[in-house]
Amino acid sequence: MKRGLRIVAATVLLLAVAAGCGKGGGGIYLITREESSGTRSAFITLFGLEIPDEQGRRIDHTLATAEITKDTSVMLMSVAGDPEAIGYVSLGSLSGSVKALKIDGVAPGVAAIRSGAYAVVRPFNIITGSAATSPAAQAFVAFILSAEGQAVVEAAGYVPLAEPSPQGSATAKLTGRVVVGGSSSVTPLMEKLQEAFVEKYPGIEVDVNQSDSTIGVSDAVTGRCDIGMSSRALQPSEIARGARETTIATDGVVVIVSHANPVNDLTKEQVRQIYSGEITAWADVEVGA
Amino acid sequence: MRRIHSFLKQRKEAFARVVFLVAACVCVLCVALICIYLFASAIPAIAEIGPLKFLGGRAWHPGVGEFGILPMMVGSLYVTAGAVAFGVPVGLLTAIYLAKFAGKRVARALRPLIALMAGLPSIIYGFLGLVVLAPLLRNLLGSGKSILTASLLLGIMILPTIISVSESAIRAVPAQYYEGALALGASHERSVFFVTVPAAKSGIMAALVLGIGRAVGETMAVIMVAGNQAVLPEGILSGVRTLTANIVLEMGYATDLHREALIATAAVLFVFILLINFLLSLLKRRDVR
Repeated sequence: MKRGLRIVAATVLLLAVAAGCGKGGGGIYLITREESSGTRSAFITLFGLEIPDEQGRRIDHTLATAEITKDTSVMLMSVAGDPEAIGYVSLGSLSGSVKALKIDGVAPGVAAIRSGAYAVVRPFNIITGSAATSPAAQAFVAFILSAEGQAVVEAAGYVPLAEPSPQGSATAKLTGRVVVGGSSSVTPLMEKLQEAFVEKYPGIEVDVNQSDSTIGVSDAVTGRCDIGMSSRALQPSEIARGARETTIATDGVVVIVSHANPVNDLTKEQVRQIYSGEITAWADVEVGA
Repeated sequence: MRRIHSFLKQRKEAFARVVFLVAACVCVLCVALICIYLFASAIPAIAEIGPLKFLGGRAWHPGVGEFGILPMMVGSLYVTAGAVAFGVPVGLLTAIYLAKFAGKRVARALRPLIALMAGLPSIIYGFLGLVVLAPLLRNLLGSGKSILTASLLLGIMILPTIISVSESAIRAVPAQYYEGALALGASHERSVFFVTVPAAKSGIMAALVLGIGRAVGETMAVIMVAGNQAVLPEGILSGVRTLTANIVLEMGYATDLHREALIATAAVLFVFILLINFLLSLLKRRDVR
């Protein structure tokens, strides 16, 4: 019995010592998304973290020790609960629980994106394969691109297209089923579009499945869904497989920190340095106004 | 008449035998199918990557063809060991308390709670870890998502398994053992700890195996608190990616060799579980002698 106690005590001590050796506070805690995420792809492209190597392969320079999450809500919760964390989300997913940073002095927002002042933007695309889509899917696409659909986009907090197309000629009696799948960033918007669409075309059923941009593109190509959702531009290999994209809205990528973090403003270069590990402490980032 | 009767009876007997045999075969068939599928996909992939590079490689960069799962193997080992270090003592002591020390009322209040704990979906534990445990440990030790957090959370998750299995093992020990010890002059505590509990060793070992199995295989909760970095951890406060997390994070979009490498990861996980079961059954056999 005594020996057992001694072993337990030794383990506890060892754990405590190991804990004491850990890094102290003040370091920047990076949170990023999984590699197939459209938000990550847009983020590393926009902030210059993706650099081609000698062989032309595009290498992601995000620090390998950055936490990886698959989920926008986990990202928001993790950043909200950690004053040293930094992360990024889609403008439409931004919530009051975290603080959106100004980039080069410009606060993210629909107006700033429309005027071109906030430049960290990416398109929201719908993807179709080379095969012809069903009339129901065509009607849904026409609805999204019409003035009516674009009003939904604006109401949801995203930037609508500059020129909506005229309303499609489909009749309200159309029936069928449309399967939409892909980017978790586009999903909240797509669900709102779906609600408005189904109200107008009660005979059509629309299923929205959330995964990520890469899956959305490949499912649209293989026909597993009628319309894919992607929050980044198509890659050459995907175009070669027959994917075609149509932009339905513009979204901003917002860099977020906890409300407890005094930093309000970062430059694009600072964000790049933070995510590539050149800046590792918040003290090294000048606290902006 | 009697002949017909006995013939029918035989028929029934044979029929029942087949039904039971089929039921038993479903189990065997499932395991066999999993084995065949896993290893048929995994072995060519491991051969293509190179067994040493796959099992011993420290870099996991699927984009550029580097598939080293050493960090994930180490991650799974650390997290599981941590869960056992935390969960087994607490669970075992709780089981002893419930079986031999607790009053009837306390036991009646505790048992449904433990049953409830066993029934909670792992995502709820993950949420608890993300919202409560991670911020708490971050404030105490400076690192919120780490091996330690994942270990603590898993330790909590394996508690119900360990408690219920070892409690029934302790209860199954014949009362004569305990009474004999008392008769020889040992106190209640001494009898319980040195006679009853050692006699329940094989049941407690079974509890350990089940607990380890759950800890190694747990995915959803771990993915929310472990950080998921595919690099070798520097210490108990570094983030870590387990084998299961590696599969879940990337299976959705992986193609070609990347996909096969993930299946090979699953095969390694399978071998892990086999090894653990095998080692513990060895331990058990030695005890019986």
